[in-house]
Amino acid sequence: MSVKLPYKKFPDGKGGFDSFAVVPVNIARPEPHSPRSKRFEAIIDSGACRCTFHSSIGAAVGLDIEKGKEDATIGVSGKPTKIWLHDISLYTPGGIIAIQAAFAHDLPVAGILGMSGFFGHFRITFDPTAQRCELERIYQA
Amino acid sequence: MPATQTDARLEALRKAPLDSWVVLSEDESAILAVGSTYDEAVKNSERAGVSDPVLIKTPKHWLPFSV
Repeated sequence: MSVKLPYKKFPDGKGGFDSFAVVPVNIARPEPHSPRSKRFEAIIDSGACRCTFHSSIGAAVGLDIEKGKEDATIGVSGKPTKIWLHDISLYTPGGIIAIQAAFAHDLPVAGILGMSGFFGHFRITFDPTAQRCELERIYQA
Repeated sequence: MPATQTDARLEALRKAPLDSWVVLSEDESAILAVGSTYDEAVKNSERAGVSDPVLIKTPKHWLPFSV
């Protein structure tokens, strides 16, 4: 079964817009019955190494963000950004995925779904003619 | 999604405060709640009667994303 997600428009600051493949997701701590965050829009980004979320969402579900394993990531600015890694449950339209995610205090968006933790679980088709993205869950043995 | 709906979303986001958390209506044409933090936006969405909000984080500046 696949999920079709229309691209979402975001202002580009110049009177136009950019379109992104965006998924509404929730996160929770990995323990059973942990409360979930509210749903938030996360951008599907094949250029991102891993899934990264704004630290305030992690704090809201009970993670002590800076107690996670400290690491750093680098974007196009070339400046390293401090992140902290935590095991979480990621709730997507395709089901629940146990992943290790990064949390950052100064992420400009709520969440980014990257190669490690997201792309390994879905066959993902970006369709520019239909302006949509299609996710098909992969279950690997 | 019809173009008019996506354009309404675009206009709503253009009006949204920067570096904030916003909750849009189901048809994405209007801002229902705003907060300077995730927690504040969640509280304000509950006050607005939204039981299952989808939160969007706006950046400090609207520029093409390369995150």
